[in-house]
Amino acid sequence: MRARALLGMVGACVLAIALAAGQNVSYQPDPDWKAPADAESRVNPLVKKPAAAAGGKKIFLRECVECHGEDGSGVLKKHAADLQRPVVQEQKDGVLFWKITNGNADRGMPSFSKLPEMQRWQLVLHIRMLRQH
Amino acid sequence: MEHMRFLYFRLLIFLLPLGLVTARAQEPPYFVTYTHYMEEPGNLEIETSSTMGIPRTGQKFYFAPYAELEYGVTTRWTAELYLEGQSTWGDSTIFTGWRLENRFRPLKREHWINPVLYLEYENLNEASRIQKELVGGAPDVSSPNSELRQTTAHEIETKLILSSTVHDWNVAENFIVEKNLSQSEGFEFGYSVGAYRPMASMASGTNCRFCRENFSAGVEVYGGLGSTNGFGMHETAHYVAPVIAWMISDNSTLRFSPGFGLTHESNPVLLRVGYAYEIRGFGSRVAQLFGGKR
Repeated sequence: MRARALLGMVGACVLAIALAAGQNVSYQPDPDWKAPADAESRVNPLVKKPAAAAGGKKIFLRECVECHGEDGSGVLKKHAADLQRPVVQEQKDGVLFWKITNGNADRGMPSFSKLPEMQRWQLVLHIRMLRQH
Repeated sequence: MEHMRFLYFRLLIFLLPLGLVTARAQEPPYFVTYTHYMEEPGNLEIETSSTMGIPRTGQKFYFAPYAELEYGVTTRWTAELYLEGQSTWGDSTIFTGWRLENRFRPLKREHWINPVLYLEYENLNEASRIQKELVGGAPDVSSPNSELRQTTAHEIETKLILSSTVHDWNVAENFIVEKNLSQSEGFEFGYSVGAYRPMASMASGTNCRFCRENFSAGVEVYGGLGSTNGFGMHETAHYVAPVIAWMISDNSTLRFSPGFGLTHESNPVLLRVGYAYEIRGFGSRVAQLFGGKR
């Protein structure tokens, strides 16, 4: 009973800190935002070039940080996805690439098709590095 | 005296962006052709550009600066306001009018061809020389400003923008129809087509300013196609223009394009320079000023 209360208090503190930091802990993925099957099967051509993630980080800081935050946790007031969460990280590289390319107009996520294809794959590499450990 | 006014005006236009706060921009290098890449929602882009016409014998050099405020209303709707002027060597410097444009992207996803619908209202006088688009016949570059500014035109302009991304290349085609509501000159037509690509496909890990990834280059071709009173290329101006853009910082982009006239009605050379500056989250900041949560 005492342990549960303690756990609840810790949870409330974590939530309060996250909210104060503007993180989007309440992020729920859009169930209608689904990549087609052929996108899922695409493999990141840079998967064996982890050094390319540095370029991905640079693009992320330039293009994505406004909504997703520097650590990818998602800015609450922007209703942006928390990219660290398993619900994002468990998606295949091809799906993340498709979502970056197409955006989600219904949720305010712009399309980044203006970035060259390899730069979008670099972004996917960087998103993988945001995974919670 | 006129010479000094001309210089001050030019200086003002070029210095205007330097006093603004920071932001980010990665712009297509086109000056005339539109793509399907919309302004990101809540961002405001401020751009100052100018069109300089190198004249034929007997004509005067002109310099036509314009300021452009582009705002991303939603992911699929971008609105822009233009304010434009013109200075002709040995003549005068005048304000030539304003334009309000809207672009709508009807499809949510990326496709092989991405259509965008464009609607613009123009309140301009006949001295306008920025040539953001060419429609109908060739513009009058011979009459004095005092005469041209007397005629004000209220115009509606529509464009069908078709744009594709093919292996890092952007290919875009714009079809233009314009109607002058002030005069019965029928509908005027024009076109522009362009292609460009970034100079490097991958981003380096360093913060370099002269890396190839910060440059994009291509070419655009644009011109008038007459009107319902006489459709075709007779007595119309056409240009072929290499275009180059340099992302000089995460905040801003510089663009340059020398356009070469293809017909006798065109200027032999049309030089264009533009400097774009983007303020991220502009909408949110304004909303916060008024107690909003956006």
